Amino acid sequence: MTELEKLRIVAGYEFLKHIRRRRLYVILGLTVIAELAVLILVPVLGDGFPDNVMVMAALLSVGPSLATIGAIFFAGDAIAGEFENKTGYILFTNPVRRITLVIGKYLACYASVILLILLGYVIVCISLLAIYGSIPIETLSSFGLCLLYAGSVLSVTFFFSSISKGAMGATVITLVFIMVISGIIDGILMMTGQPHWFMLSTNGDTISTVYGGYELFMGGMGGGGMAPFEMETPSIGLSVLSMAIYLVVGFLLSIWITKRRQLA
Amino acid sequence: MSEPIVIENLTKYYNKFLALDNLSLRVAENENVGLLGPNGAGKSTTLKILCGLLRASSGAAYIDGVSVAEKPEQALSRIGVIVETPEFYPFLTPEETLGYLGRLRGMRGDELKRRIKEVIQLVRLEDWGTVKIEKFSRGMKQRLALAQTLLHDPPVLILDEPALGLDPRGVVEFREIIEGMGKEKTIFFASHQLVEVTQICNQVAIIDHGRLLAYDSIAALEKKYQSLERAYLELTEAPLD
Repeated sequence: MTELEKLRIVAGYEFLKHIRRRRLYVILGLTVIAELAVLILVPVLGDGFPDNVMVMAALLSVGPSLATIGAIFFAGDAIAGEFENKTGYILFTNPVRRITLVIGKYLACYASVILLILLGYVIVCISLLAIYGSIPIETLSSFGLCLLYAGSVLSVTFFFSSISKGAMGATVITLVFIMVISGIIDGILMMTGQPHWFMLSTNGDTISTVYGGYELFMGGMGGGGMAPFEMETPSIGLSVLSMAIYLVVGFLLSIWITKRRQLA
Repeated sequence: MSEPIVIENLTKYYNKFLALDNLSLRVAENENVGLLGPNGAGKSTTLKILCGLLRASSGAAYIDGVSVAEKPEQALSRIGVIVETPEFYPFLTPEETLGYLGRLRGMRGDELKRRIKEVIQLVRLEDWGTVKIEKFSRGMKQRLALAQTLLHDPPVLILDEPALGLDPRGVVEFREIIEGMGKEKTIFFASHQLVEVTQICNQVAIIDHGRLLAYDSIAALEKKYQSLERAYLELTEAPLD
């Protein structure tokens, strides 16, 4: 039996696990709520929908972005859970390489997140078609960036999951790292005019800034020039590079650590 | 006679704590060997190294001549394992869990379905085969653990306190299953229960502080120390009445 066949089996059953878990449906619900909030609050609190379809598309990308953060909840216990819950006593005593297990788990998590992202973009496309009668081609780039961002968030979560004793710890550390630490450093770098393309939070912003940068938001929502400092829109190319690095390095580190980790 | 389990000079440190001290042991084919020792003696550590869950600080462990450290997948393909009280994915059913583990071991189609049905019947979980494991008691999980151990009909069983969590009927049923298997399989079995060991095993290894104190047939130890209990207590330096 080849490792590829084993990989397919691991990924299949891990995906089944995700489908059975409530958290998939909770994140699904949150994604829909986020999209509904934009669709309801923007016209109610503003003067109807923005004139520019790109502004609305950028605003609606909050749903898929939220779905991407859901990756943390899928992946937080992927490795740490095997050690914390002692399910590893069953899984790791089978003739399957740990690298196969980690890759299979990663693919299953990724497939689950892609499902959520797809749903988010279906809502984006239907909404834009209904309101403006068109979908900007940039939506495709946004979708691609969202998939890449999801992969990089997954890899970072897998890394923290591989070094954490507990699943909850891994989830919280990853959330704090991406939402708080990365966000704070990102903000400081932005305020001081330093490059910040390598921050994961900046990379996540490209999902919406691909429609036209921060200026589009400010102008489109009637707040042009209100930022107390110059907000430099992250370069898409550099952000892609950054996300690819997070994805590869985080993933390889998680494999290396899991292979070495002992289950006492 | 071949020796499916060979442990050579195993030493294991947990930081500075010495859990195994140059332990060597050989289990011959179709022998049922009980591994006895007080808490912290090194029983679980020994079995976990044999199953590839822990790495030895030095020494080596072999399953059917295959080094567990060097070729873990090959070594693990020959064994069935219960370590402590294992947990299962709560969102899967026993049939799905056994399907997953069976397929990982190369079992397929009708053969796998038939075998899943057999082992589920063997451990008396027929009515629970399609119920999610999140609803299971500890004893039921232990039964499922035994089922996954036997699923692929391995020639070597490595069992660490396998009756833990079972009710009295479960303990008896478990013992009968293992006794039946023991005639055609090699069993290496860690337990605190001397009665259980006596009923299942024909040889015992007594360890304490990570060192092998005795390794002989139960009959020989009973002859030398009057009873297995006395042998255990004297060798492990527990106070006698």
